[in-house]
Amino acid sequence: MPYIISDEYTSADVGLEVTGHDLAELFADAALGLTAIMTEIDRLNEGRCLEVALTAESLEELFMAWLSEIVYYKDAEQFLLKRCEFAVLDEAPPCLRATLTGDSIDPERQVLMADIKAVTYYKFRMARVNQTWRAEVVLDL
Amino acid sequence: MNREQFTRISENIWEIPRSFKDGMRVPARVLSSGSLIDGIDARVIDQITNVACLPGIRRYALCMPDGHVGYGFPIGGVAAFGIDDGIISPGGIGFDINCGMRLLRTDLTMDDLESKKERLLHELYNTIPSGVGSSGYVKLKQDQFRDIMERGLDWCLDNGYAVDHDLKHIENQGRIAGADHTTVSQKAISRGINQMGTLGSGNHYLEVAVAEPKDLFDRDLAGRFGIDRDNQILISIHCGSRGFGHQIATDYLQVFSTCAKKYGLSVRDRELMSAPVNSAEGQRYFRAMCCAANAAFVNRQLITHGVRQVFSRVFGIDAMKLGILTIYDVAHNIAKRERYTIEGREEELLVHRKGATRSFGPGHTEVPAAYRDIGQPVIVGGSMETGSALLCGTSIADRETFGSSLHGAGRTMSRMKAKKMMRGEAVQQRMRDHGILVKTGYMPGLAEEAANAYKDIDAVVDAVDAVGISRKVARFRPILNVKG
Repeated sequence: MPYIISDEYTSADVGLEVTGHDLAELFADAALGLTAIMTEIDRLNEGRCLEVALTAESLEELFMAWLSEIVYYKDAEQFLLKRCEFAVLDEAPPCLRATLTGDSIDPERQVLMADIKAVTYYKFRMARVNQTWRAEVVLDL
Repeated sequence: MNREQFTRISENIWEIPRSFKDGMRVPARVLSSGSLIDGIDARVIDQITNVACLPGIRRYALCMPDGHVGYGFPIGGVAAFGIDDGIISPGGIGFDINCGMRLLRTDLTMDDLESKKERLLHELYNTIPSGVGSSGYVKLKQDQFRDIMERGLDWCLDNGYAVDHDLKHIENQGRIAGADHTTVSQKAISRGINQMGTLGSGNHYLEVAVAEPKDLFDRDLAGRFGIDRDNQILISIHCGSRGFGHQIATDYLQVFSTCAKKYGLSVRDRELMSAPVNSAEGQRYFRAMCCAANAAFVNRQLITHGVRQVFSRVFGIDAMKLGILTIYDVAHNIAKRERYTIEGREEELLVHRKGATRSFGPGHTEVPAAYRDIGQPVIVGGSMETGSALLCGTSIADRETFGSSLHGAGRTMSRMKAKKMMRGEAVQQRMRDHGILVKTGYMPGLAEEAANAYKDIDAVVDAVDAVGISRKVARFRPILNVKG
């Protein structure tokens, strides 16, 4: 499992622990882990595509902005992510360009579980350890 | 944390001295009964003592009896900061700006409701949107949403979603001064514009409850709040500013992260990122926060409007003739500019309440005229299984806790653990056995909100009553619940 959903951090919200062999895997799995808390990803269609371009002052900030973008599209575009592909994902300067593929929210054919409303800095960690990228982040429900 | 680390100030007030942690500018105080203090999470103590380290804090960092771990501040945290030397922190307000409680009275009693419970629940569930991605019934244009941000309940009154009585029975009349839409990002607007009039999810709910004679602790005060007959039906609404407020908090945490160095601010927890109250960034956040607070008042008002329509349909009588009136609406995630006397000198402070409710006592000028001689209603949301409570603010709160009290029961068990221990269907059946019908879009989520995932609401209410920062008025037994 590329991500673990955890309740070790707070009682009211949920933590996400992600690992990746490279940054693209880390970012993609974190976004999918976040989505998996909200819905059963297998039930999502791939009928919609969105383009995302982000820059940040640090790689950590880029990671947070990326996850916040997934939350933003859920509310503003009623969009749930099924998969993502990165055309650009650079450490220096930190930036990314990605295509999000997914589905519109539809309670009739999807299982809608918890609503993630924010990505928090509480206990946030991101580091490369022995060629593996790891991140821990708490999501506000 | 063991009791030896606290100084027991009185039966239910426990102080953590400045010597507990380097950098504490003031002591921290936890309001709690003896039984609750033994079970307090060490992370809550770490968080409230971090708050005590923030610049410009006055007197104490406070944690209410329902306190539990949050981000930055614990939930149940209260702290007041000087305007000239203090800070404003999104972590002291919460992501869900002006998450709060509204309580409505009705002329109905349990006898009136008995044969209509199933239909009422069904129609409430279908009328009040809830859950992931839900959209409100009011389709707003950008200029209307700007109006909502800055004018709050005045917009509802102008557009037929509120009556004058509502405005007179809401904190700040549902319109907080200082809101400025230019301080809000387009992203925040895009997240919020379709969500007005929706409950959201998690612990947000719409509850129909009964006030039984045995649960009226102070009949005179209850009567003044409009609870004036046996087995009276009441309605409570728990929700906030939805994605709009969350995006504002997210945006300004980013801004504050960037400007922290400029102001020489370092914090022990990134969720405590802050800016000086009077800095340009701090002022912009305050104005944006006021926009979200006004939107949250409107959100609860639009839900109230929907509730009135449903009751009117089900009972075949106009909602006003059913006596569906607002008792009060309180914010429990907010920062407010308020005046207090500190060491003999009156000054304006920025009081952060995160999972804490105002509890202003008799005579306070910000208590609505209808209640000014008795103190404001303090609405406490319990678990969906155990119901809510109504208390009344006191002058002791004005003196001791910056006019603050508790907001809920306080979660003790993680959502995942609750789901592992119980199935939603089992909780639904247990609630049915206790006379509570519940409807939700995602049944496992109901297990997260079971009574045993929370502190005992009676214990936390008793604790604030004993300290004297709120007086018990009534407890309500839930009958119907729409879980967000």
